[in-house]
Amino acid sequence: MSSSEQKYNDTIVKGFLISGLVWGLASMLVGVWIAFQMVYPELNFGPYFTFGRLRPLHTNAAIFGFALSIVFATGYHTVQRLCRVRIWSDKLSNLHLFLYNLSIVAAAITLPLGLNQSKEYAELEWPLDLLIVVWFVVFLINYFGTIFTRQEKQLYAAIWFYIASWVTIPILFIVNNLSIPVSWIKSYSVYSGVYDANIQWWYGHNAVAFVLTTPFLGMMYYYLPKHIKQPIYSHRLSIIHFWSLIFLYIWAGPHHLLYSPLPDWLQTTGMVFSIMLWMPSWGGMLNGFLTLTQAKEKIKTDATLKMLLVGLTFYGMSTFEGPLLSIRAVSGLGHNTDWIIGHVHGGTLGWVGMMSFAAIYYLVPRLWDTNLFSERLANVHFWIATLGILLYIVSMWVSGISEGSMWRAVDETGSLKFPNWVQITETLKPYRLFRGIGGGLYLSGVVLMIYNVVRTIINSGSGYKEIDPRIGLKEGKTA
Amino acid sequence: MNWFDKLLDWFSGFTDQWEKHGVKFTLYTTIAILIGGLFELVPPFFLTKTAEPIQNVKPYNALELAGRDVYQKEGCNNCHTQMIRPFKWEVDRFDPQHSYGKDGYSKAGEYVYDHPFLWGSKRTGPDLAHESQIQSSAEWHKTHLINPRDTAKGSIMPAYPWLFEESSIIDASKIADHMRGLQKIGVPYTEEDISSAPTLLAGKTAGDALIAYLLKLGRDTAELSKSLQ
Repeated sequence: MSSSEQKYNDTIVKGFLISGLVWGLASMLVGVWIAFQMVYPELNFGPYFTFGRLRPLHTNAAIFGFALSIVFATGYHTVQRLCRVRIWSDKLSNLHLFLYNLSIVAAAITLPLGLNQSKEYAELEWPLDLLIVVWFVVFLINYFGTIFTRQEKQLYAAIWFYIASWVTIPILFIVNNLSIPVSWIKSYSVYSGVYDANIQWWYGHNAVAFVLTTPFLGMMYYYLPKHIKQPIYSHRLSIIHFWSLIFLYIWAGPHHLLYSPLPDWLQTTGMVFSIMLWMPSWGGMLNGFLTLTQAKEKIKTDATLKMLLVGLTFYGMSTFEGPLLSIRAVSGLGHNTDWIIGHVHGGTLGWVGMMSFAAIYYLVPRLWDTNLFSERLANVHFWIATLGILLYIVSMWVSGISEGSMWRAVDETGSLKFPNWVQITETLKPYRLFRGIGGGLYLSGVVLMIYNVVRTIINSGSGYKEIDPRIGLKEGKTA
Repeated sequence: MNWFDKLLDWFSGFTDQWEKHGVKFTLYTTIAILIGGLFELVPPFFLTKTAEPIQNVKPYNALELAGRDVYQKEGCNNCHTQMIRPFKWEVDRFDPQHSYGKDGYSKAGEYVYDHPFLWGSKRTGPDLAHESQIQSSAEWHKTHLINPRDTAKGSIMPAYPWLFEESSIIDASKIADHMRGLQKIGVPYTEEDISSAPTLLAGKTAGDALIAYLLKLGRDTAELSKSLQ
């Protein structure tokens, strides 16, 4: 271990892992809070903690605080191993970690103050956008510096997915955030109306693609084979699904704008490409599943492997549901309803969350050179997280489909059956309550994980020993 | 599947080469993601039909713009949409007065001065695109904003009493700056529009401005449609 610490910079990986835990906890706390605001409006504490101001805080902290921290942690960890060199510059890594966290802290302050651009997942005002561009450039120089000085000629599949993310994120971010500043705290998008909508959802959908999908596929391609000590099932499948995935994903944005005043040809293009996306997405899922089957007897005992399995399952499910929802007729029912919230959380809690947890459980013992404090607690975490996700998405499916059906319901005379909006809201209340409870369960799993990680770190340096939980040992603890 | 295997052989022949060259690989990845992006983002700007301007639609005046800022600040767009889809059931619900003739749904031309667009993605509360024709009483809106439960029992909307407090009186010079900014990116404000800001905003609170904005939504197109009928 000590020789690996000299060869590779693991401090930066640790730094981003800890940011991930902090922002994960924060984002999910806010998420549970706003879930209950949808049932009990008394939980809105004005002016700083109303739903309208907290919702962007929740999404920004979850996507750019939690998920992106894990993406950077695993990005730094994998690139050094796959290139067999230390990260190009330790100083730039530290600067990246510092400025990144500064921007998330600033987001957590400015969003409750109501400073936002009103573009979904691009809410931060322009000075923060500039700060983000600065640390991203710092990161890019460092990452590509590492790739260009690498000792290993072949770039392995995991790294392709990270590279695709690094080149696409800045393009999306800069184009969508172009705005005219009118003061330090206020700006207006340079695009108007229908053009703005088109560019926003090109960005919005590809944030899902290149922040929440491709880096996590990179994680799958590295940590899954590493963890089970078997190669990835098919290298050819990786090739075809990588190139088709990144080529097709970028077209899918307009499926967010079906039946809107966006030109029809553009809506149809978005819909067609979304349906085509089902194939490369499932290509990735199948490559993961088929790799997993090589170690299927381990799944019973190994929490990390269970998380990878459920993560992949939810990836398959969300990428099936996505194309389904982008069909015009289905969008007619589902658009703007709780169904979409359920769909998104199937992806984020199921795929992004589970893959992140798997990466954390894989990395923490190795980085701090000790064994995980409690393998059993990790298993408990797995089960309550899974239960929480299921409760969340099932209640949102029922709520969303009820909502959509009630909007469109007409009586024999052809007039609206539920003209009173509050009547619909009242009907949805119990489902929304269950959503809050599901989110609460998921959050308590994260609290358990943090406890487990902290206890593990306290033990650091006691020596990491690989243990196969199948042979006799009840818990993965060393003496 | 013989042909498919051959196609794969041919393709992986290239990619195997790219995987050994970092620059090449990054370049081809960038090209792959740019094709779809360019195809979708660029042409709409050059197709005149993308957003046909509707004759009657006017930019927001100083008070309405201040109200739009409040709408954005409070994140109203997280729960209210501003885009009515071309379904009978949606038009019936959001154009009950039939102010827009047969076409009660949203048109691109209604949004030409919207920087940014505020269509939203979740309709927890009703759509507001044509709010001026659904609830035209300023007094009702004030009661509703101060405590939504007073006008709609069972509503889950947050209460916004502070919007009407003394401390929420709007600074007119700021709004004039905002109008100048928008002018730079194509909103046709005249000098008179900007210089009238202090009079329009005198003593007005954020809540008053928000109501003015809500009562502007859908008004211009409804007037046009009524004059045609």
